[in-house]
Amino acid sequence: MNTDALSSAIASQLVMLFAALMLVLQLLLVAQQMLLVAVRLYALQSLMLTAIAGVVAYYYNAPHVYIVAVLTLAGKVVFLPWLLNRIVRDIKIHKEVEPLLNAATSTLICLGLAVLGFIVARPFTTLERLGSNTLAIAVTLLLTGFFLMFNRRKAITQVLALLTVENGIMLAAIALTSYGMPLVVEIGIFFDVLVAVMVLGILVYRIRESFDSVDTAKLTRLKG
Amino acid sequence: MILLLLAPIAAGLFCLASASRAAWERLNLGAFGIVAVLTIRIALHVSARGPVSAFDGFIRADALSALVLLLTGLVSLACAIYAVGYFRREETAGRVSCVQLRRYYVLTPLFVCAMLLAPIVDNLGVMWLAIEAATLASVLLVTFYNKKASLEAGWKYIIIGSIGVSLALFGTVFVYYAAVGLPGTETRGGMNWSVLMTAADKLNPQAMRLAFILALLGYGTKAGLAPMHTWKPDAYAEAPVPAAALLGAAFINCAIYAIMRFDTLAEKCLGHDFSGHLLAEFGVGSILLAAPFVIVQRNFRRLLAYSSIDHAGIMVAGLGFGGKFGVLGAALHMLFHAVTKPLLFFCAGNVQQRFSTPYFRKVRGVIHALPCTAALFFMVTLAVTGLPPFGIFQSEFNVLSGALAAHDDCMASLFVIGIVAIFAGFLIHVSNLCLGAPARPSPILTESPWQLTAMAFVSLGILGLAFWIPGWLYHLVGQSAQILGGNP
Repeated sequence: MNTDALSSAIASQLVMLFAALMLVLQLLLVAQQMLLVAVRLYALQSLMLTAIAGVVAYYYNAPHVYIVAVLTLAGKVVFLPWLLNRIVRDIKIHKEVEPLLNAATSTLICLGLAVLGFIVARPFTTLERLGSNTLAIAVTLLLTGFFLMFNRRKAITQVLALLTVENGIMLAAIALTSYGMPLVVEIGIFFDVLVAVMVLGILVYRIRESFDSVDTAKLTRLKG
Repeated sequence: MILLLLAPIAAGLFCLASASRAAWERLNLGAFGIVAVLTIRIALHVSARGPVSAFDGFIRADALSALVLLLTGLVSLACAIYAVGYFRREETAGRVSCVQLRRYYVLTPLFVCAMLLAPIVDNLGVMWLAIEAATLASVLLVTFYNKKASLEAGWKYIIIGSIGVSLALFGTVFVYYAAVGLPGTETRGGMNWSVLMTAADKLNPQAMRLAFILALLGYGTKAGLAPMHTWKPDAYAEAPVPAAALLGAAFINCAIYAIMRFDTLAEKCLGHDFSGHLLAEFGVGSILLAAPFVIVQRNFRRLLAYSSIDHAGIMVAGLGFGGKFGVLGAALHMLFHAVTKPLLFFCAGNVQQRFSTPYFRKVRGVIHALPCTAALFFMVTLAVTGLPPFGIFQSEFNVLSGALAAHDDCMASLFVIGIVAIFAGFLIHVSNLCLGAPARPSPILTESPWQLTAMAFVSLGILGLAFWIPGWLYHLVGQSAQILGGNP
């Protein structure tokens, strides 16, 4: 086996490993009720994404993916978790109320969603360049993220769910094309996520002030 | 073109720096005046000489982009004029504070800037960014009044919007993926419409199919197609009137524009049937869903939102039916809807300000209290529900012809049923509102001159376009229809 094929195989394996870890972290997040722990899980998941970007940049000689990796590290592993931590401390709510479905049921449903993700991604796996199941994991992250959003009632958890969905999309972007999207788009998406979380943060503070709670189940006035 | 984007940003930043209401008003009016003039110039240029591009192809405006750009520019000017009068009244009534006013005058130019960027960038990733940026800027406009209801509306808007937007991004990623490996796509221009369109028939069909569905769901959420419309009534009812008018008349076009671009790609790759059927179903579904809500509606601000769901449905349905008439109908409808809709918002806003309630049952005999508003309200109701001679009649007729030409009789009849039901509902509500004796006698409060100017400006547009479309504008619409039909 020549070195090129060998390094490509290693890259593929590494990407696969980190992607699988992202999925595991997502499942832990679904079962988690402590908000601060959930924020840390999200930070870890973003770290895995950074690692994938680093591997891709190294093995495919795509220098602009390094920039993506650095941005992900600075933004999603350091800054956003810090911001969310601060919000959680400020609003003094540390534990999610009982979700609509309990942890066991949620985990089962998410496993079902994972199977669905693998089925959806199947027609594309032969065309994929990196790791055979990365796209399936990306789709699963998307689906479980949506599920998390519906299942939880605290505003902060919904924000976290949205962020994991975004992680899934970035994973898909890297996995499908093996060199990511054009730099301007990547950077744009990055700042977009930052601004979105800040806007959501402002809303969380205001909801907290007006409703004396961040339980989105209390937002029920508007109908029809 | 650079000035087009810089003017609103500069206005926003200067508003942040300055501290007096007069300065904010002047800066906003000035910026939107410049924007309107520039968009007209670009539209004239594109209509006469074909597509323009700048910055090494980063920005590219063909007829369809120019049409959306023109409409955004004009609508934002009308809203800026109306906003001056509206917020002076609100301030006198003690409903808004100085801080809130500044927030409006800072955020609106940024919102408009993002909406101007969306139709003219060639890169579909950047277009996604512009639409998302517009959403984020408008969220804080929706929560402007800071009441419980507006916070709820804002939260719903951003959460549902973000789900939609992530689906749209996923769709964008898939389009990019579908093009991987084709010549020209590995360079910087790999996500550009113009590049993708030339290679569209070689795109991976399976990926393209998934991409189109995701993009339709994603941007459909932004446009308010059923069943992803649930944020719309809340956001439109809670936002201050000029911001709601921007959402309802300008932002909706950006979302529909994105759907149109994805549709042209999908049609070239997969043929008309796949995307056409989906679009027609979503479109007619939205019209049919809006109809009962219009008929039983009790709140006239929410009524406008259902009307906007209905019109988004008509545009998408026209696109779906396709053929010569269908796409022409969709392009015409975009034009007429954007021209007509602001007036409806302005009238409803005046009534709400005067009676301090958005509920039909508490308001009677507007014609005695606000004669000009009532007359215009009546006229615009007829215009927006598609009565001849107003423009919307022409475009709806074209869409219907498109459906019949495609031998889609079932869809055509459902379309007519929906339109007629909405017409009836609207007419009953608005005539009850405007006519009749006032609930309690009250002194006539004259309408603010700023608000009247904005309303006169829009009514001139509606009446003018009903009888005479300038040659260059018609040319622009015709060219847009050709682009939608797949022959740029």
